[in-house]
Amino acid sequence: MLSTAPLVAGRRRVFGSVFSPASLEARPPFASSYDNDQNLTASFQSSSTVQTDSFAPPYQNADNTSTRQASKEAWSAATAYLCIPDRGFTHIYESRGTDGSEALKDSSRLSPPSKETGEALAYLTASAQHGQTSGQKDLFEWYGDEMRRHFLTNLRGGLHELLKSSEEEGLLRTIVDCLQLARRIYLAPIVHYVMPLIPVAEQGRVLTQLQRVFHTVVSYSLSWEHIATLLAGELARDALVILGIDTLLENSESESNGHDGMDIDRQYSVSYEYWVDASPETRALIMIEGELPHITVTRDQLLAFLNGLQLVGFGGDKAQKVFASVMNIMMSEFVRAAYNKRWKRPTAVAQHLRHWVENVFSRLAVQVLAIIHTPPVGNPLPGALDVSFGDVEQWQEIAIARLGALRTSELFDVIVEWPLSSGAIEDLRHFTTHPAARTHVTQTFIVLLTQRLLHPGASTVQILQLYISIIRAFHLLDPKGVLLDRIARPIRRYLRERDDTVRVIVGGLLADPCATAATEPSSMPSSGETLAELATELTRAHQLSLNQNKSEMDWNDMNWMPDPVDAAPDYRKSKSSDVIDSLISLFDSKETFVKELQTLLGDRLLQKREDYDQEISVLELLKVRFGDSALQACEVMLRDISDSRRVDAVVRNDQGFNKPPSRMTSRRIPRPDIPELHTKILSRFFWPEIQDQEFKIPDEIRSMQEKYSAGFESLKQSRKLTWRNGLGQVAVELELGDRTFAEEVTTWQATIIYAFQGDSEEPITKTVSELASALEMTVPLVRSACLFWVSKRILAETHRDSFRVLETLPTENEQGPGGDTGSMAEDEAPVGDAAAAAEAAAAAAAKETAEAAAMEKMNLYWQFIVGMLTNQGAMPLQRIVMMLKIVVPGGFPFSNEELREFLAGMVTRGKLEIASGGNYKLVH
Amino acid sequence: MDYTMEDTQNSAPDALEATKLNSSTQRNDTQSVTKRLQAELMQLMLSPSPGISAFPDADGNLLSWTATITGPTETPYDGLTLKLSFAFPNNYPYSPPTVLFKTPIYHPNVDFSGRICLDILKDKWSAVYNVQSVLLSLQSLLGEPNNASPLNAQAAEIWDSDQEEFKRHVLARHKDLDDE
Repeated sequence: MLSTAPLVAGRRRVFGSVFSPASLEARPPFASSYDNDQNLTASFQSSSTVQTDSFAPPYQNADNTSTRQASKEAWSAATAYLCIPDRGFTHIYESRGTDGSEALKDSSRLSPPSKETGEALAYLTASAQHGQTSGQKDLFEWYGDEMRRHFLTNLRGGLHELLKSSEEEGLLRTIVDCLQLARRIYLAPIVHYVMPLIPVAEQGRVLTQLQRVFHTVVSYSLSWEHIATLLAGELARDALVILGIDTLLENSESESNGHDGMDIDRQYSVSYEYWVDASPETRALIMIEGELPHITVTRDQLLAFLNGLQLVGFGGDKAQKVFASVMNIMMSEFVRAAYNKRWKRPTAVAQHLRHWVENVFSRLAVQVLAIIHTPPVGNPLPGALDVSFGDVEQWQEIAIARLGALRTSELFDVIVEWPLSSGAIEDLRHFTTHPAARTHVTQTFIVLLTQRLLHPGASTVQILQLYISIIRAFHLLDPKGVLLDRIARPIRRYLRERDDTVRVIVGGLLADPCATAATEPSSMPSSGETLAELATELTRAHQLSLNQNKSEMDWNDMNWMPDPVDAAPDYRKSKSSDVIDSLISLFDSKETFVKELQTLLGDRLLQKREDYDQEISVLELLKVRFGDSALQACEVMLRDISDSRRVDAVVRNDQGFNKPPSRMTSRRIPRPDIPELHTKILSRFFWPEIQDQEFKIPDEIRSMQEKYSAGFESLKQSRKLTWRNGLGQVAVELELGDRTFAEEVTTWQATIIYAFQGDSEEPITKTVSELASALEMTVPLVRSACLFWVSKRILAETHRDSFRVLETLPTENEQGPGGDTGSMAEDEAPVGDAAAAAEAAAAAAAKETAEAAAMEKMNLYWQFIVGMLTNQGAMPLQRIVMMLKIVVPGGFPFSNEELREFLAGMVTRGKLEIASGGNYKLVH
Repeated sequence: MDYTMEDTQNSAPDALEATKLNSSTQRNDTQSVTKRLQAELMQLMLSPSPGISAFPDADGNLLSWTATITGPTETPYDGLTLKLSFAFPNNYPYSPPTVLFKTPIYHPNVDFSGRICLDILKDKWSAVYNVQSVLLSLQSLLGEPNNASPLNAQAAEIWDSDQEEFKRHVLARHKDLDDE
């Protein structure tokens, strides 16, 4: 703040040295002549008093005094003539639209000088030719001052107002028009009447000098920042049209309206689609010929405007800078407008872009730069362009980089759309040619990934699906796999954290590819719960791996290339495109994977099916990857199933169950005949833990089982059968009063309905608790089974937890109001509800078994806790948790609160007590 | 059996922490010792034998355990709770653990600082023994002391001569550690 005053003063001094301080007052011609006089006196020291009547050329007049006199008079005449009348700004503003001749006349700029004045001018200019340059120089210098004075007093204020006025379109054009008119007013008499008087060689110099004066005063009066913004807006508006970007934007907006204009024979367009559809010959011409009329008009207008701009002194390198920044934005705009979301394959985007840069972008640049060149152009050779071919090439490279940036920002969506978007990846290949670009791509993509994919909102199936797409896409982008290697790291790390990753992968591998191929014709992302694509991939990858068996150690590979420079230090070329391998290698050991495979395989093998070819083939394929030994257990499981079939036939034959074996069934209970019993014999050691509900099966079946067991033991000595009653299917056929019912149900459902069997006419009623105690089945399971039969309309729930056989279906009129059927109807009506209830009950039962399993696990932890408390004495909860975390293999999965609850349960059961300080203590 | 598979993953954090400081040869040893001890603990938990129990100490290092033996019926130690400490060497199970009675005990083969004279803890040690078998041996030693090589000669003498007197000595010496 303190220094502003001297600063302002200093500035004024600086300006003052450029613009003479007197310039604001009209300088009387005579005063000038007086100055001149002084100068002359200084130059010609000898003085004489010879007078002439007319202004004779000085060389004819040897007398210095007469020279002085003559020059004095000539000066006053000339300056009077050249002096610019002060007509104010409005005068110029109003006549800016006209051709200017009016305004020129008004300011008496077109009237030729009178004879005397002409002679005076001639006298003053001619003096220069004989070494007396001062006279001539002074005339022009004076005129420069005069222009400056006139501009500052008349125009500056008005232009300022104009600039400050709210910005409207064409404001800059108005200003430029005004300035151009002013320039004409200033220079007209000089050009028309003074120039012819001086030698040709001098003309250029004088004109430049005056122009420079004009330019300086203009740029002094109007702030460049303001002009620059206006100019940028002006350029951007026109460039949008000329470069065709506006039509692109409109097209993308009106795309849904259908293309009416598409049937025009050959149209000028920068649109990519249009270009791609065209034949190669027409492609070359599309952007060159047949420019649309409105573009031509805009282009001409812009060029004319720039011409004016250059004339009034706003051209040059400053304008070039503005132009450059505008074109910079335009290029990004064009890339975005033309190629956004255009990922089709095969792609010619890069060629199209190069073509556009060469023919449209560069064309405009050349035209504009030819106008707003820097003032001292030297002596340009005719036809020499301001834009070299190298520049164009550079622009093309920049444009490709912009395209790369666009594609990089789109990359996530591209991957989501894969494989329909492979064109985009090919575009990206043009971009990822140097390490910096590659780093940019990977880094941007990783950020996108963490934002959009690697969060709890995305399901594991989705993530895996995308990971597969990423593997494929990046394999196309960079066959060496270095980029993939970098991208995959965060994904893999994240996938390892997810609990269900293994399950999803294994489920996908075991899925039936044929079934999914039928429902999903294209290999689109399978939206469902399974990743069936993996199964397809498994078979395909195997076929592929048979074909190409190359390794890094192939010394005869003439196409070998070293790893790219930006490969990570621990980078190791994998069979990069092999999706299965990438997924399996997610886990450090095969064991987790194999374990999950066993569980899933177990579930599937226990289902009743004709054959298990799918499982067998998957297992064979996986053996190729894992080796035989890892999958031994699975192998045994499959063998068990096929062996069972044989053993079953033999045992049945031996034990005289030889009904013709109809179909592969676990057990069969048709009521009147002897039920058929088929078994699957599993080698317990190799099968995963199977959760089982224990209950009493009907005696009839039990006796058969015993017989069967005996048969088996005689066949396979030293081996014993343990029956798993909870697993298996039963084909049930029920004969009711008015109908028969046949369906395949689970063993426990069959057992329940068997319990309702009776010969009496009266429908049997049983309660859940009765059934539960009779069959030694858990209550939820009984209830679930009963509800299942209710949903099938075999049983009806008379009261809560009491069920009765529905011997005859209630007819419509029986369902009338009142009576005991009413309550039944109430229960009967929502059969759908009953089915849902049955399902829910089944789920509850399943949950119960799961809970029981969890409880069993908790029992193990209880052993640990007992051991701990026995040996280490009483302990607080915190310490117990800590110890459990250390000593329990596989970690302790419960939280402090869960353990506290469990321990509290133990306290109420009297096994624990809480001693002083919250320590838990065993009760002896 | 499943649990042994997971041992590697589970033992890793602690074992690694501890062994990072040590040399690489020791590292493998400690890891295998930890693994072995964890398996033994699991076995103890899954199939507990009546009257014996053992658990690692709370220092987070599996190399020291505390064990508890309940005195067998029809011996002078009937109903008594006896605590022992186990210290496992780095090359366990190739060397025996050091086992001491923590609870003061009056026994022919145990001296007054708790040291035990038992052949399988000395020269007869074999890698097939484990915590459970050692504890079972000690439990049976309570009922059948080896009076041929006594550490506590007085006890050996009284054992042979006067069981009532012996029991009195046992009860006089016994002191529960729980209250500490």
